[in-house]
This record gives sequence, structure tokens and C-alpha cells, in this order.
Amino acid sequence: MKVTFNFGSFLSARSVMGDTMYELGQKHNNVWALTADTGGALKEFKNDFPDRYIDVGVAEQNLAGIAAGLALEGNIPFISGMIPFMTMRACEQNRTAICYQDLPVRFIGTGGGLTSGGGSTHNAMEDISIMKSMVNMTVLSIGDPNMVRDIMILSMTYPHPLYLRLAQGKKDRMLYEPGKYEYKIGMGLTARKGKDATIIAHGEMVFEALEAANTLAAEGIDVRVIDMYSIKPVDKDLACKAARETGNIVVLEDHLMEGGLASTLADVFVDAGVYPKKFKRLGIPQVYAGFGSGEEQRIKYGYDKTATAAAIKKMLK
Amino acid sequence: MADPKEVRRLQKLAYEMRKKLINLCGNYDGIVHIGGDLSMTDLLIGLYHHGMKVDPKDIKSPTRDRFLLSKGHGAVCMYIAMSLRGYFDYDEIVRTYGQLDSAYGMHPCKIQLPGVECSTGSLGQGLAVAAGLAFSAKQKKETHRVFCMMGDGETCEGEVWEAANTAGSYKLGNLIGIVDRNKQMMTSFDGEYMNLEPYADKWRAFNWNVVELDGHDMGQIVNALDKLPPVTNKKPTVLIASTVKGKGVSFMEKNIGWHAGALSNEDMQKAMADIEAGFAKERSTAK
Repeated sequence: MKVTFNFGSFLSARSVMGDTMYELGQKHNNVWALTADTGGALKEFKNDFPDRYIDVGVAEQNLAGIAAGLALEGNIPFISGMIPFMTMRACEQNRTAICYQDLPVRFIGTGGGLTSGGGSTHNAMEDISIMKSMVNMTVLSIGDPNMVRDIMILSMTYPHPLYLRLAQGKKDRMLYEPGKYEYKIGMGLTARKGKDATIIAHGEMVFEALEAANTLAAEGIDVRVIDMYSIKPVDKDLACKAARETGNIVVLEDHLMEGGLASTLADVFVDAGVYPKKFKRLGIPQVYAGFGSGEEQRIKYGYDKTATAAAIKKMLK
Repeated sequence: MADPKEVRRLQKLAYEMRKKLINLCGNYDGIVHIGGDLSMTDLLIGLYHHGMKVDPKDIKSPTRDRFLLSKGHGAVCMYIAMSLRGYFDYDEIVRTYGQLDSAYGMHPCKIQLPGVECSTGSLGQGLAVAAGLAFSAKQKKETHRVFCMMGDGETCEGEVWEAANTAGSYKLGNLIGIVDRNKQMMTSFDGEYMNLEPYADKWRAFNWNVVELDGHDMGQIVNALDKLPPVTNKKPTVLIASTVKGKGVSFMEKNIGWHAGALSNEDMQKAMADIEAGFAKERSTAK
């Protein structure tokens, strides 16, 4: 599979989400947009479908409950908002009101990892760990903004709760040509072929991984990059194949190193009896990070492209 | 005024239901939340046997009224009210309650027991879900109501007031909250630590239509349900029903020890006698 990169262009994932909500709202009269005072991207939807738009103010627990009620009546509610409050403030409601009853509620969260710029109250470094632990919940992490639309459309026929993690959502890098790939829940995408090592990343970190791979290519090191956008269920075959074929695995994510994709993959490898020669996690250490941009913080905590390239070189020594 | 014949019919059902509750509690090898079951017995009879448009033979009818038991620990009380209406077999409830693979457990599960509208048990969550059902009905211009039974203790949860705020703001006139105001939590009386008063004013402040009633006076229950405003009302309605935890059983009434418990044979006999006596008294004083 040849992947088209378009590193130069940015798009706001939040506006793609807003546009897609409008598109889905037109097509499906059971689609609702729900927000806890974060509906900035939903202007068209709320103008044209005011009776399917609910803003409850800053009350995320209540919002999750209302979403459950709507879904019980055959509606498909999309909750959008900031990740920490969507996944932590409303954690029990998500689990008990939504997942326990296996209701098709969609969560679209922005500000993944340390991209929020708001400090530790607004950082989202535990969300994947929390959401993936809930029975019936599906967890996806998306970097390329165009994927957001494809996944939202795909979600219309998906009968279970689904969490879509976005990066900051304001200025997101396009990686793939729109419409070229069919994304599927439970699948990953080989964004770059390679044989010496594999970087498995999700969300915005796929770009860092590709940059690291390009740097290493200049030094004769051939690195595979997997965009593991589906974290639960995860593409076990793709991960195991990479471990068998390249031996060295680096998991790169804007999430705590414990509990996220790295932990999922460690489980996958151990359970399958597929042991990478070397396995390295790059991500957020056990720390409440401070202020600064996502780019600055990932350099500080050692999970940017330079640190990734260095980690691979060390592995191959 | 409520039709006296209808009130007598419902009182008889409530009496039967109390005996069935005590019988189940006495035959179950474990604890039952009997205190709060007895406090909402009359209300559930009023709802399932008079106030709500429901049909046990058509549990998915789009026009049915919806009922959510936010105080999910009172599930057994709901099962029995529903069994008296023809949803379930009471003997099966008694035989299997709380057993492995039974559909009838301590907290109601929609997936295991069709007829239950929503799985509940985590306190304070019901009203928000009920608001979701009400939003959907309002948007589709459906004419049914959504009833949500809450315990007063669980209204200490913030989510209840978030939902109350939303329902008031969005004028969900099809949403009816019922509070089983027995003034007892699991381990304390109202006012001992937490003071919920002025309770009705709190709901009024959230733009709700408030109806206060005696939750053990079947005439008042029938009146309140008959006089609910239309679903197009500009405010949701809450029925604040003053009740007694353990109502009808002398040693349980207002006794902190009887939030939940198991009944010995001797206690069961005594409880049955109390309920018989209470019903006889109710009948003798009826106009």
C-alpha cells in the first residue's frame, strides 16, 4: 500500500468534525449533537437542527446521562468536548449509563495528550487507559483530520459506544489523501514500510514517527511506521507481523506510557507468544506536566521525533 | 377527587404488594432494601396500576409511558409492582431473586430483564437518562411521559441537579420526577448530617412545577397523577411524596437499621401481622 503524505497542509479536526456533524444531521434524523459548553464547531448543526442540539452548560456527567437516554430511544448522540472532562468527570456515567447498556453513543474528544496547552487540569494523558478499560467501549485515536469524517460516517452503522480521540483539533496535519483508504475499527495502517524496526504510533504522533523514520532513512536505517488508530480493538495481526519481521518495536504515544497503546501491545505480544527482540515505550512519564505547547512538551519528556530516532539507533546497536 | 372505588382497588394492590415484599424478603437468603421498598410501594402501585399508560403485553410500544427507577436498589419493589400488573411471574421472582443467572437482581438490568427501561443502581444517574428520553420524545412530538423515581438521599448527588437544571431550562414538560421523600439515607436521618430542606423550593428554583403530597395516601397519589400537566407544559413536574421508610411494618418504620436487611421467620410473621392490621385500619377508616 502506497501512502500519500501531505506534510505541508494543516486542517482543523474540530472543523472537520463540525462539518461532518452537519452532513450527518442532514442525512440522519436520529443524529444529535451534544455538548457541555464546547459547541463552537457545531454552528451549522445548531442553526439547522436546533431540536437535536443540546448544550447543557458545564455539566459533563449529566450530558453522558442524557446521551444514554437518547440512545435508548434509537438516536445516535455525538458528544464532543474536551477529553479530561468527557472521560474523567463523566467516567462513571460513561461506564454505567452508556457502556453497561451497550448504547451507540459517540464521544469525540479534543486535546489529546499534552496538546491542550492548559496545564495538567486540561491535559489528557489517562483517557485511553480509562476508556479502553470499559467493556463494550471502542477506542480510536486519530491524527489526520480527514480521517475524522470517514470514521464518523463509519460510526453510523456501528452499534456500540465509541470514543474518538483527537489531538488539539485546531491545527492538525494531513497525512493521507482524503478518501483513499478505507479505515476500519480493529485495523491499523502501515504508513511507511520498513524492515529494521517498527514505530507503532497513534494520533498526532504518527507524524513524529514518520519524521523520525525519514531522518533514519538518511542514515541507512529502514523503519516501518504503523498508524494504530484503532486501539481497542487493536490490530493484533499487524502488530505481531511487525514484531516478527522487524524485531524491534517502539511504541510512541501522547499518553502515559503505562495504560495506553504500549500496554495494549505488550499484552498482545505476551498473549500471542510473539516476543519482539526489543520493546521500547515513548510517551508521558509519571508526571503532571506543566505549560507549553504539545511540541515543546514532547521534546521535554523525550517522545518527539528526535528522541524516537535516538531510541531506535540505540536499539539497533 | 379521586374515584373512591379506584383508590380502594389500588390500596388493596399496595397491601398485596407489601405482603409479597415481606414474603420475598423472608424467603431470600440475603439482604433486601426493604425500608425504601416499603416507602415507595404506594407510589409504584399508583404509577404502574393507574397513572402510567403501559401494556405488559406490548413492552416496546412507542406510545408507552417510560419509567426509570433511579433508586435502583428498590428493584425488587418495581419487579413486584410490575408482576402484579402482569409483566412477570411473582413466584419466579421469589424463586430466583439474586441467584446466578436470574434476571431479577438487586439492581435492575435492562439487558437481562426486558420490560425494564433502563439499567440503574448507581445513585443519582436516573434523572439525566430520563431527561434524554424526554428530549427524544419532545423532538419527535410523541405524547408519552417519562417518569423517574428518585430516592431523596440520592438527590445529594450533583448530577441530579445538573439534570434538573437542564430539564428546567429545556422546558421538558413530558418529564415527571417523583421523589420518595422518606427523609432517611442509608445511615442517617435527614437533618442529622445533610439537610435537604427547603426541598420543594430547591426544585422550584430549578424551574420545576412542584407537587407535594403524602406518598402513602392513595387518594392523593391518584389525584396528583390525574392532574399532571400536559406534556407540552413549559416546566417539568416533580411529585415530592412525603413517605415513611419501612412503612407498614412497626419495627422497620423510621428505623435506621432497616435500610436493608434480612428477615427471620419470627420477624416475617410480625411484619405480616402489622401489614394486615394496617390494611384493616385503612379499610375501617375509609369514607
